[in-house]
Amino acid sequence: MKTTRIRSEHLSTLMWGSASIGSFLVIWYVLTQTTRLGTLIPGPDIVLISLFKGIFGQVGRHSILMHAVYSLGRVLAGFIIGSALGVTVGLIMGWSRVAEAIMAPLYRIIRPIPPIAWIPISIIWFGLGESAKIFLIFLASFANVTLNAWSGARNVDRQLIGAAKMLGANQRQIFFSIVLPSSVPQIFAGLQVAMSSSWSTVLAAEMVRSSEGLGWMIVTGMNNNDIVQILTGIVAIGVVGFLLANIMRNLEAVLCRWNKSGQ
Amino acid sequence: MKVSLKQSQYFWLSAISLGVIILVWHLCTDVFEIKPPDIFPGPTEILETFIEKLYSRRPDGATLLVHLGASLYVTMVGYLLGAVIGIPLGIAMAWNRYVDKIVKPLFDLLRPVPGIAWIPLFILLFGIGTFSKALVIFLGALVACVVNTFTGIRQTKEVHLWVGDIFGATRTQKLFKIAIPTAIPMIFTGLRVALGMSWAALVAAELLASNIGLGYMIQQSRALSRTDIIIVGMISIGIVGAVLDKVLHIIEVRVAKGMNAE
Amino acid sequence: MSVEQKRPVKTMIQCRGVGKTFTTPAGPMDVVKSLDIDADENEFLVLFGPGQCGKTTIINLIAGLEQATEGSITVNGKDVKRPDPERGVVFQTTALFNWLTTMGNVEYGPRVAGMGKAKRRKQAQRYIDLVGLQGFENSFPIQLSGGMQQRVGIARVYCNEPKVMLMDEPFGALDAQTRYLMQEELQRIWQAEKRTIVFVTNNIEEAIYLADRIIVLSNCPATVKREYIIDMPRPRDYVSDEFLRLRKEITGIMDSTR
Repeated sequence: MKTTRIRSEHLSTLMWGSASIGSFLVIWYVLTQTTRLGTLIPGPDIVLISLFKGIFGQVGRHSILMHAVYSLGRVLAGFIIGSALGVTVGLIMGWSRVAEAIMAPLYRIIRPIPPIAWIPISIIWFGLGESAKIFLIFLASFANVTLNAWSGARNVDRQLIGAAKMLGANQRQIFFSIVLPSSVPQIFAGLQVAMSSSWSTVLAAEMVRSSEGLGWMIVTGMNNNDIVQILTGIVAIGVVGFLLANIMRNLEAVLCRWNKSGQ
Repeated sequence: MKVSLKQSQYFWLSAISLGVIILVWHLCTDVFEIKPPDIFPGPTEILETFIEKLYSRRPDGATLLVHLGASLYVTMVGYLLGAVIGIPLGIAMAWNRYVDKIVKPLFDLLRPVPGIAWIPLFILLFGIGTFSKALVIFLGALVACVVNTFTGIRQTKEVHLWVGDIFGATRTQKLFKIAIPTAIPMIFTGLRVALGMSWAALVAAELLASNIGLGYMIQQSRALSRTDIIIVGMISIGIVGAVLDKVLHIIEVRVAKGMNAE
Repeated sequence: MSVEQKRPVKTMIQCRGVGKTFTTPAGPMDVVKSLDIDADENEFLVLFGPGQCGKTTIINLIAGLEQATEGSITVNGKDVKRPDPERGVVFQTTALFNWLTTMGNVEYGPRVAGMGKAKRRKQAQRYIDLVGLQGFENSFPIQLSGGMQQRVGIARVYCNEPKVMLMDEPFGALDAQTRYLMQEELQRIWQAEKRTIVFVTNNIEEAIYLADRIIVLSNCPATVKREYIIDMPRPRDYVSDEFLRLRKEITGIMDSTR
C-alpha cells in the first residue's frame, strides 16, 4: 500500500513538473511571438533547434559536444590533481597537530581568495594554454576538499581509534584503516562542492581566455551579438552541470553505502 | 594519538611557519630574483604597491578603496535582493505543496547552471553597468538561499509539529514557531554559501566586462603586466570575502541565540 | 564444576593502589581512588557499581587507553603502559568500524597483525559462528540490530585471541529482552572459550547471572566496597532463592550508603 502511495506521489510530481515547465516554455514562446520581447531574445523553439543542430554540428570550430568535452577535460585534470592533494593535506592536518600548526596559516590565507580571482595571474604565470586553466580548477578543488578532509580527520571518533589500538593497529595502520575511511563521507561532501565550484571556474576561465569550450561558446555569443548561441550554450552548460552533480551523487551512494541506513 | 601540543606551542609553530614562508618568498624574489618582478614580485614590493594603491589612481583610473567600494556595492545589492526573495520563496516551497509542485521544477531547471554562465546574456541584454552584474549575483544568491531554506524547513520533525497540534497551534503559528526556528541553521548555511558565490561571481563579471571594481583592477593590471597590483587585488578580494563571512557568522550566532535554535 | 576447580590459578590482572584524577575547570576530581583489584586467569569478574562515575575509567586504565595517576596495573605479569592486543575491549557504544562488514570488523585485529588472508578469514569465521552471526558476514554494522552489533564487538575481540577481555557495560544500550538474551549468549560463549573477563555493569541481575565474583564499587571516587564470590551452578536461574537472596543483599548494601 505504501509503495502505491509513493508511486502516485511520484506520478503527480512528474505531472505537475511537466505542466509547470511546459507552461513556462509556452509563455516564453507566446511572448516572443506576440510582444516586443521577440526582438530581444529568441523563442524556446529556436534555442532547441540550435541546440540539436549544434550538438554534432559546428559552433565555431567544433560541435557543442566537443566544446563540452574540452571543458570537461580541463575540469577532470584539475579536479583529480586538486582532490588527491586536498585529501592528503587535509587528512594530515586533521591527524597531526604539528602539521596543522605548520600548514594551516598558509591555507587560511589562500582559501578565501575565489579561484576566479586567480585567472589574471594564472595567465601571467602559465600563459594562455591548458596549464593555466588546469591550475585554476586545481585551486577550486583543492580548497574545498582540503577543508572537508581536515575536519573529517579532526573529528574522527576517539573511541574508534582506541578500538583500533587495542586490536593492535600501529599509527600508520590507524591512519589508513580508521582515519581515512571514517572521513570519507565528509570528503565526499567536499568533492561535491569542489565539482560544482570547478565547473563554474572552468567556465569563467574559458570566458576570459580560450578558443574552445562551453565558456568560450557563450562569451563569443556575447561578442558577436548572438543571443541564440548564448542561450544554447547556457542550456548545454546546465545539462552538463546536472550530469556532473548526478554522477557525484551516485558515486557517493556507492562509496558511502555503509553510512546510510535503510538500504 | 595526537602529539599533545600546548596552545602556545601551536601559536609559535604557526607564526614560525608563516615567517619562513615570507622569508623564502623574499629571498626568491627581492634578493635572488629567480623570476623577474613583473612575473613574481616580492613581499616588499607588494606592500609598497598596496600603500601606493590606497591613494594612487594609476594605472586603472581609481584607488583601491574606490574599486573595493564599487565591488561591494554591486555584490550587496544583488545578494540582499536574492536573500530577501529567496528565503521566503524557499519557505513557501517547503510549506505549501502547490508552490512546491509548480515552482520547484522551474527551479531544478535553473539550478545546474552556474551563476556566472548568465554573465554574457545579461551583458548583451542590459549592457555592462551595475544592473547586469547585480542580476548575475541575484540569481546565484537566489538559488543558494532557496535550496538551503527549503531543505531546512523540510527538516522539521513531525513530532514537533504534533506538539504544536496538541497545543492547538494554527498552521501559521506552526510555521513561525516551529518550522522556521528549525530551519535557521540551514538558512544561514544558504546565506553563507550565497555570499561566497556572490563575491566570486562578481569578480568574474568584473573580469569580463566592467570599468571599475577589484576584478576590473586585476584584469587591467594583467594587460599592463603589473603583477604586483594583481596580487594586491587578490589579497584584497580574499580579505573582504573572509570579513564578510565572519560578519555573517556573528549575525548567525546572534539570531540563533535570539530564537533559541541550536 | 565449582568446588573441584580450586586448583592453584594464575593471577592475570593486578591493580595496586590505582588512582585517577582528572583536572576539571572546577579543580582536580578523583574518579578512581586507591583501588586494589585482582583477577585470576579465566575468571569472570564483574565490577558492579551505581552511577556514572569511575567504572569506565577503570576499564580504560586496565586497557591502557588512559594512564593512571597513581598506583600500578600489571596484566599477565607486565606493566600496562599502552593499549595492547593482549587486552581486548568491548565498548558500550560498540565502536564498530562502520565502513567494514561484519567480517571486516572481526578480522581487523589479525589483519593489522599481518596474518594472511585465508588464515585470518578462517579464524574470523570461527568466531562469527561462535557468536551466532553466520549469514551476516557481509552486512555493514548499520544494517544490524543493537544486539547483533554487540555480538560483532565481542567476536572482534575474541578473534584477536586476547588474554584478557574488558567489557564496559556492553549491554547497557540494549532493550530488556535483548539484554537477557545477550547475557545468556555471553555466558555460553565464555563457557565455550574461556577467557579472563572484567565486566562492568550497573545492573545487579546481570552481575549475579554472569559473575564468578562481583566487586561492588562505591560511587565517585570508585573504590572497592565489598566482594562476593558467586558459586551458583551455571546457567543460573534469575528467580532461584539463592539468586534473589544475593540480589536483595547486594541491593541492600547499595541503598544503605546512598
